[in-house]
Amino acid sequence: MIVSLTGSMTGLRASRRDPSAIGALVRAAREDDEGAWNELVDEFAGLVWSIARAYRLSAADAADLSQTTWLRLAEHLGRIRDPERIGGWIAATARNECLRLQRRSQYELPFGDELPEPDPAGVPSPEARLVRGERADALWKGFAELPERCRMLLRVLMADEPPAYEDVGAALDMPVGSIGPTRARCLERLRRLVARRGITGADADSLEAET
Amino acid sequence: VSEQPPIHELDPDDDVLMDELRALAAANDPVPPHVLAAARGSYTWRTIDAELAGLVYDSALDAERLTAVRSQDTVRLLTFETAELAIELEVTAAAESRRILGQLVPPGPGFVELRHGGGLLELEADDLGRFDAEAVEPGPVSLRCRREREGAVVETEWVTI
Repeated sequence: MIVSLTGSMTGLRASRRDPSAIGALVRAAREDDEGAWNELVDEFAGLVWSIARAYRLSAADAADLSQTTWLRLAEHLGRIRDPERIGGWIAATARNECLRLQRRSQYELPFGDELPEPDPAGVPSPEARLVRGERADALWKGFAELPERCRMLLRVLMADEPPAYEDVGAALDMPVGSIGPTRARCLERLRRLVARRGITGADADSLEAET
Repeated sequence: VSEQPPIHELDPDDDVLMDELRALAAANDPVPPHVLAAARGSYTWRTIDAELAGLVYDSALDAERLTAVRSQDTVRLLTFETAELAIELEVTAAAESRRILGQLVPPGPGFVELRHGGGLLELEADDLGRFDAEAVEPGPVSLRCRREREGAVVETEWVTI
């Protein structure tokens, strides 16, 4: 059985499953358990996509990167030495493939498209109801204006299933110990960028009186 | 390097903002359904009976070559290896397709299956170990090789071309 160990709904070191449960999924997937494979996909597909976007791959290149990463995992399943740390393997594989695709893009295709603009007219997903309207617009634009290092780190952390810091470190070739402090600095920069647009949000309201 | 105290890591307002950002990404830039489906489908390609030939050289990651070649160069060189066999590929890129020239080392005939997003291409390496494929669609590819009808099977790692 897979046990959810999420202690909170926040993104802080919140991995949905503990390493032993992940390791059990990998071992089951080795033994022809397609359901276990699909659970691994559910767990890490968001991370792979976020890594591709952090490296500014276009949607088409990000789709190729994702498929290559999962095909590589499938072919390596029986050879993975540390099934509990499969997330780090996936993240490092995706990062390597991103670097290859970036080089390819430099001499072959226009460099990756920009992240999509928010679409206020679109049908919001359940998650989107958390953030709407001007606030969402200002946050997304502020995010795009962040220095590259901040934008990359936050984009990986924005993965659906909040990634373990070990996996984030593998995705960005970054020491795990620096992720927390860098995240704090980058979020502070983002707050300032958003404030410059005259928008405050839930997090700002809790610190100061509404203007 | 930050001198900030660890307490910053635990700032609950940071977690609130991070959750907002995650919700924004889920709304504006989610994993497309076809990408999820392809990830699930990758399972059927897993290697069971073959030896894996690892990617040991990729000109796309070769810094010296990158600075030496013209910027409009569209040829990429890839080498996969096992202890007994090397598979060298020269991939020429056009906008919507790839041309692959292949070489088995040591040279000699063999059967080569080119596996890609659209399916399978069956190729034959000639007596000098050469094979080629035209108009391969861009995306992940892997080669499955046999030197003789009854011989051991080698599969290359997947790579995006």
